[in-house]
Amino acid sequence: MEGPWVEKYRPRTLDEIVGQEHIISRLKRYVEQKSMPNLMFTGPAGVGKTTAALALAKEILGENWRQNFLELNASDARGIDTVRTNIKNFCRLKPIGAPFRIIFLDEVDNMTRDAQHALRREMEMYTKTAAFILSCNYSSRIIEPLQSRCAIFRFLPLKGHQIKERLEYIAEKEELDYEPTALDIIAYLSEGDLRKAINILQAAASLQEKITEDTIYEVVSRARPKDVRRMIKTALKGDFMDARNLLREIMILQGVSGEDMVDQIYQEVSRLAMEGVLEAETYIKFIDSIGEYDFRIREGANPRIQLEALLATFLSE
Amino acid sequence: MSWTEKYRPSTFDEMVGNKKAIEEIKEWIQAWKDGKPQPPLLLIGPPGTGKTTLAHIIGSYFSDKLELNASDKRSYDLLINIIGEASTTRSLFDDNLKLIILDEVDGIHGNEDRGGVRAINKIIKESKHPIVLTANDPYSKKLQTIKPACKIINIRKAHPNSIVAYLKRICQKENIEADPKILRELAKRSHGDLRSAINDLEAMAKGEKRIGAEILEAGEKDVFPGLFDAIRAILKSKNIRHVREAMQIDEDPQLLLEFTAENVPREYEKPHEIRKAYNHLSRADIFFGRAKQTRDYIYWRYASEHIGVGVALSKDETYRKFTRYAGPGSLQFLGRTRAKRQTIDNLAEKISRKLHISKKVAITTFPYLKIIVEDEKMAKEIRKYLELTDEEFKILKGKRKSRKTGKAEQKVEGADPPDREKQTTLLQFK
Repeated sequence: MEGPWVEKYRPRTLDEIVGQEHIISRLKRYVEQKSMPNLMFTGPAGVGKTTAALALAKEILGENWRQNFLELNASDARGIDTVRTNIKNFCRLKPIGAPFRIIFLDEVDNMTRDAQHALRREMEMYTKTAAFILSCNYSSRIIEPLQSRCAIFRFLPLKGHQIKERLEYIAEKEELDYEPTALDIIAYLSEGDLRKAINILQAAASLQEKITEDTIYEVVSRARPKDVRRMIKTALKGDFMDARNLLREIMILQGVSGEDMVDQIYQEVSRLAMEGVLEAETYIKFIDSIGEYDFRIREGANPRIQLEALLATFLSE
Repeated sequence: MSWTEKYRPSTFDEMVGNKKAIEEIKEWIQAWKDGKPQPPLLLIGPPGTGKTTLAHIIGSYFSDKLELNASDKRSYDLLINIIGEASTTRSLFDDNLKLIILDEVDGIHGNEDRGGVRAINKIIKESKHPIVLTANDPYSKKLQTIKPACKIINIRKAHPNSIVAYLKRICQKENIEADPKILRELAKRSHGDLRSAINDLEAMAKGEKRIGAEILEAGEKDVFPGLFDAIRAILKSKNIRHVREAMQIDEDPQLLLEFTAENVPREYEKPHEIRKAYNHLSRADIFFGRAKQTRDYIYWRYASEHIGVGVALSKDETYRKFTRYAGPGSLQFLGRTRAKRQTIDNLAEKISRKLHISKKVAITTFPYLKIIVEDEKMAKEIRKYLELTDEEFKILKGKRKSRKTGKAEQKVEGADPPDREKQTTLLQFK
């Protein structure tokens, strides 16, 4: 069965993985030795952390890898207790038809410090039967004791040409008709994130028989959270209630997180300044405001209240 | 004309309450009529109890009236020139008495109305005409020298029932069908200030055929007792003690923050007020964050001060208007959209499992998937692969018409694209 291209063209082996050569060669050494330490994969989104973990598990555990591999997401599991119970239940059993078991724990940087300490104890308890692969975007958010128990691999954003090569490979398999420059644009816009690049390519392919630069720009502009620009403009007009309603709709119905929202507001305010809608003086004032509330979101308890306060700073007299 | 003007009583009989005071006033008028000069009347009472109205009704018993109120510039000269002259000059006929009305004498400003109090005393002493003075604060220093020379009449707040009756009469004349519950609530809120009750009624009822109890959001009021009173104090008052007292309620402070935030833009109208108030709410939220991170709930008290006193002081002046306060729109929105959000969550969960990503990342791929499923073939594949239900699929598919259907049909049937068809027709016409 063929899913979205991000899954359909996910590399199944370590050899197939794009970029990250220095990491892949070390991982292959583990496969040869049929043993591995606890690992920590850190790096931005869409650079191959999960793909590397899956491919490594497959190659090192052999044909029974599915039964001996547990994939958990730290931010989705309902609390650390769920994570611990899952790990415990999984590790209690001996590996079946494999030398050991592997637990892949994604987004560890979203765990609280307490939870990370608890995780450290779990890791020590099952050193004989299981190996852990921890994955995160920022290793700075991981407590020292966890870092020191892992071999750390830093995944780098993919280079433009690496992304383009992969897109060309997919385009060939899917028999796509495209302008070569369109792929350059995708590589540029995806900022080293291959998942995003492939999603853009597939979206473009569904829009047009022949993929052109314009197709790509259309995809990217349509994929932006809707109404952010309208929300900002409404605030600029001084209509706070309507702007606030839009904010709530975007956050609650489109499920956009507080961080993403700040990011979108920043991008949109920049665009408005480039288009001359915002004067330079206002622009720099707004940027300072956005930065301040970006910071406050991290400190505060309720991101939406902070964003509503940010909107209030955009109101004109 | 505002309703407070339109329905201002013009006779003693129409006045609300204060029967005894009115009897005394009538005797005072009669004495003047009988040629017996009386000391000035000093009507003292809280705002909106009818002092000015009474003064004007009294005026209707005399041949003329002369009024100055707090908004006039009452300098010494001004008072002496206008009132001094009018009060000492009397016509030959005794019944030609002019009533002098000095409104809100305790409102005289020290600097602006330099010598104002002195002037009033002089006028009281020299006047041969009847004088009525009004004041709010019986203990005002400015009244100290005036009081001994006057006959003092205390005007009391109207009883809620009298206010309800008055409001009901207005509704009848305006042809408005009003729920008695609303009138009672307005009366209660007014704290005896009939003027504010009428203002509130006008704000919510002018131009309406009927006003139902739902306008007060009585339901929510029952769910959160005290909460709306706290909100009202925060948004209407600038008095620190008053605000802090009203906030002594047994409610989750984070809920209080939501309620306050919701109503800030409903009450405050100036952008800088909203900005200031929201900055305090933002600061409060930071203290909530600190409490959460450190599990030290001592930080809550700083949050509370930001929500209460901080927001209260963010307004330039108290708005004299009726505001319909509401429960947090965000919570209502969350409630209304629960089913849809559940579906979105399920969809994210499925994508998360199949694509080895977290739900948060899954949601960021929605925009691309939405475009991808515009292609019917891809839509089918993805739907099958992710094992989506009709509802879940609809989140991606939405109401947008598929653009690719046309493309697919062209392929199958080999028909010309519509554009080219048009061109052909044009060519033929040529």
